[in-house]
Amino acid sequence: MFSKYIVKFAFGLYNSKRYTSTKKFFYDLLENENYHYKKIVDIFLIILILSSVIELIYSIKHGVHGWLYIFDLYIVSIVFGIEYMLRLWVHSDMHKIIIKEYERSQFLKIQFKFYAAFIQILTEKWNYIKSPAAIIDLIAISPTYRELRILRIFKLLRYTTSIGQFINVLKTKRFELMTLLILLIFLIGTTGVAMYALEGNINKNINSIFDAVYWALITTATVGYGDIAPVTTMGRIISMIAIITGLVLMAFATSVIVSAFLEKLNEIKDNRLIDSINKEDRFVIICGYGQMAKMLLRQNNFDNKYVIIEKDPNIASQIAKDGFNVITDDVSRHDVITKFNIQYANVSILCIGNDDVENIYITLTAKSLSKDIRVIARASDISMKKKFVLAGADHVIVPNQMANIMLLTSIKQPVVYNVMHALLAGKHAAYLDEIKVLAYDGLIGKSIQEIEFKTKKLLLIGIQKEDHNDFIFNPPASTILEQNDILLIMGPKISVEHFINSFQRSLK
Amino acid sequence: MKNKKHAWIFGYSKQSRSIAASLLAENFSITIIENDDKNFQDALSDGYVNSVLIDITADTELEKLDIKQSDWILCLMEDEYLNVFLTLSLRASCTCNQIIAISHSIYSTQKLIMAGANQVIDVYQVSANRIHNIFEKPITTKLMDNFISPSHEISFEEFTIPKNSFLDGAIIDEVDFDKFGIIFTGIVDKELGDELIFAASNINHKIDNGDIIICIGKNEDLVKFGKYLYKDIA
Repeated sequence: MFSKYIVKFAFGLYNSKRYTSTKKFFYDLLENENYHYKKIVDIFLIILILSSVIELIYSIKHGVHGWLYIFDLYIVSIVFGIEYMLRLWVHSDMHKIIIKEYERSQFLKIQFKFYAAFIQILTEKWNYIKSPAAIIDLIAISPTYRELRILRIFKLLRYTTSIGQFINVLKTKRFELMTLLILLIFLIGTTGVAMYALEGNINKNINSIFDAVYWALITTATVGYGDIAPVTTMGRIISMIAIITGLVLMAFATSVIVSAFLEKLNEIKDNRLIDSINKEDRFVIICGYGQMAKMLLRQNNFDNKYVIIEKDPNIASQIAKDGFNVITDDVSRHDVITKFNIQYANVSILCIGNDDVENIYITLTAKSLSKDIRVIARASDISMKKKFVLAGADHVIVPNQMANIMLLTSIKQPVVYNVMHALLAGKHAAYLDEIKVLAYDGLIGKSIQEIEFKTKKLLLIGIQKEDHNDFIFNPPASTILEQNDILLIMGPKISVEHFINSFQRSLK
Repeated sequence: MKNKKHAWIFGYSKQSRSIAASLLAENFSITIIENDDKNFQDALSDGYVNSVLIDITADTELEKLDIKQSDWILCLMEDEYLNVFLTLSLRASCTCNQIIAISHSIYSTQKLIMAGANQVIDVYQVSANRIHNIFEKPITTKLMDNFISPSHEISFEEFTIPKNSFLDGAIIDEVDFDKFGIIFTGIVDKELGDELIFAASNINHKIDNGDIIICIGKNEDLVKFGKYLYKDIA
C-alpha cells in the first residue's frame, strides 16, 4: 500500500509542471553557469562567506559582538543550510528513480519494491554528500565549533575557476604525485625512526617519535627551523641524506606539476575563452578556417563575440598567431557544441570549411542539439545545396555559384554589376541599410511622402511590415510608417547615417 | 543580323563549365583554352569543339589565338600563379579587351588587378560579403538573393537610352518612374564618362541618347518600362 502511494506521488511530481519548473529554476540558480541570475546568487553567497570570515578574524582580538554573533551563528548558517539542502535536492530526481524502478518491475512483471528505489536514491544523494564541495558546504553550516568556521573560506573554491582548474590539472597527474607522496612518507618515516633510534636518548630536543618525525619533515623539506638538530655524526649523515633526497623529490614534484600545466595550458585557455563567450547574449561559432573566414572576420568581427573551432592544433596555433579567438577541438562532436550556452544565447554556427561532408555533419549536430541555433553553411557545389537544406541549414552559401553569377552579370550587364558589387561590399556611394522604426521615434505615423526621402538624398527600396513577412517593394507614397517596420533605404553612407541620427535625435 | 559576342575562356574547371554553359545560353560563341590535356578533353567531350590546347605561358602561342578587340577574355585558371601570369600576358597583347578574372584569395585579387584585369571576382569575398549581410542586413540579403535567384521577381535592369525615345533629353527629376512601378537607381552619363552615378547623389542630370540608366523593379514592370522606352524606335 505504501509503495502504491509512493509511486502515485512520484508520477504526480513527474506530471507537475510547477514542480518541474521550480526545480529547474533552483537548478539554474545554483548550478547552471549560463543562467544570468546565478551570478547574483554567487555574488550574494561570496559576500556572506567573506563577511563571516572577516567577523571571525575581527572577533579573535576584539571579542564577539552580540549582533555579529547572531548574524554569524544564525543568519549565515541558515542561508548556507538552505543552500546545502537545495543543492542536495537538485542533484538528482528521486521521483524519476522511483518511476524507473516501477516501470522496470512492471516490465518484468514482478512486485515493485520501494526499498530498491530507496537504495538508489540514497546512493545518488550519497554521491553528492561525499563530494569535496558538499563536505565543505556541510562544514560551513556547522555552528558548533566556532574556529572550524574559518573553513567557510573554502566555499569560495566553487566560485574560483583558477583553483578549480589547478585541482583538475593535478588530478591528471594523480598517479605520479601519489608515487612521490608515498616516497616522501617512506623517506620521512625511515629517517625519523632512524634519528629516534640514534639520538632518542642523547638529543635533549628529541623526546618522542613525533619529535623525530617532525625533524625529518622539516629537514626533508629543507626548511630547517633549527629547533631540533642532530648531535651525533650518524645523525648528521642521516640529515644530509634526508636533505638531498628531499631536494630530488621536490624537483620531481615541481616538474610533474609544471608538465601537467603545460599539457593542459591550451585546454585552460580554451575553457577561459568558452566561459567568456558564454557570457554574451549572442555569439558566432566559426567552423573551418580558410580564405572565407579570414575575409569575413576582416569585414565583420562580430564585436569580438565569436570563436573559431579548429581540430588541427597546428592550424589552431596559426589562427591564434593571426590574432583570432580560437579553441582546439572537433566541433562535429556532440559535447563540443554543448559547452556553449546554446540554451539561453542566440547562437549562430558558420560551417565554412571546404569539406561538404564535415559541414553537413556539423549542421546536423547543431540542429539536433537545438533548432534555434542558426546554421550558415558553405556548400562546394549547387548540387549539394539540397542536402544542406535537408540537414536544416538556415542559409547555404555556394561560393562558386555566387562568383559565377557576379561574373556573368559583369559581362551581360556591366553597369548592374557595379551596382550590385557596390551594394554587396557596402560601398560608401551606394550604401544599402535597414532602419527599424522604433517606439517613440520621429518616423512613426508619418507617410513616406512626408519623410521626403529624395530631398534627404535617399532611395526607399521597400518596407518590411511587422505583421506580415512579405517585403513591400517600392511602397505607395501614402504608406504610413508603424512601429517595428523595417525600411530598406539606399544612398550615400553619409546620407544614411545622417537620416538615422536625425530621427533618433527627435525621440520624444 | 547582330554579331555574336565571343568569349575566350582560359581554364576549363568545374567552375568554368557552368560559366561557359551560361554564356552559351546567352548566345555567346565560346573558345576554351587549356594547357592541361585532361581538361581539354573534357571541354571537347562537352561539345566545345573550338577548344584549343596550348602552352599558355608562351606569348607566341597566345598571339596566334587571334583575339578580337571586342571579345571578352575570362581568366579562370585554377592555379592562382598561372592565372595572374596569364592575365598579365593577355593584357600585354590585348590592350583594349575586357579581361575578367576569378580570384580565390585577397592577395591574388590585388595581383590580378595590377596585372590588368578589368574585373576581378573574388570567390570568397563575395561569399564573405553575403554572410556579413545575413547578420547585419537580413532584408537586404533576401533582396540580393532575389536578384541572383533564377526565379527572381525583383531585379536590376540597365537600359541604354535610344535616340528619340521619351527619355532622350529629359531631366531625371522630371521623369515619373513611379508611374512604371520601378525605382531609378543610377545613370552612366556618357558626357561625364563611364562612371556610374547613383540616383541619390542628387545631381539632376539631363538624359541623352547613349546614356545607360539602372532601374530596380519587379520583372513585369521592368519589361513594360523597356517596351515603353523602345517603342516607336526603329
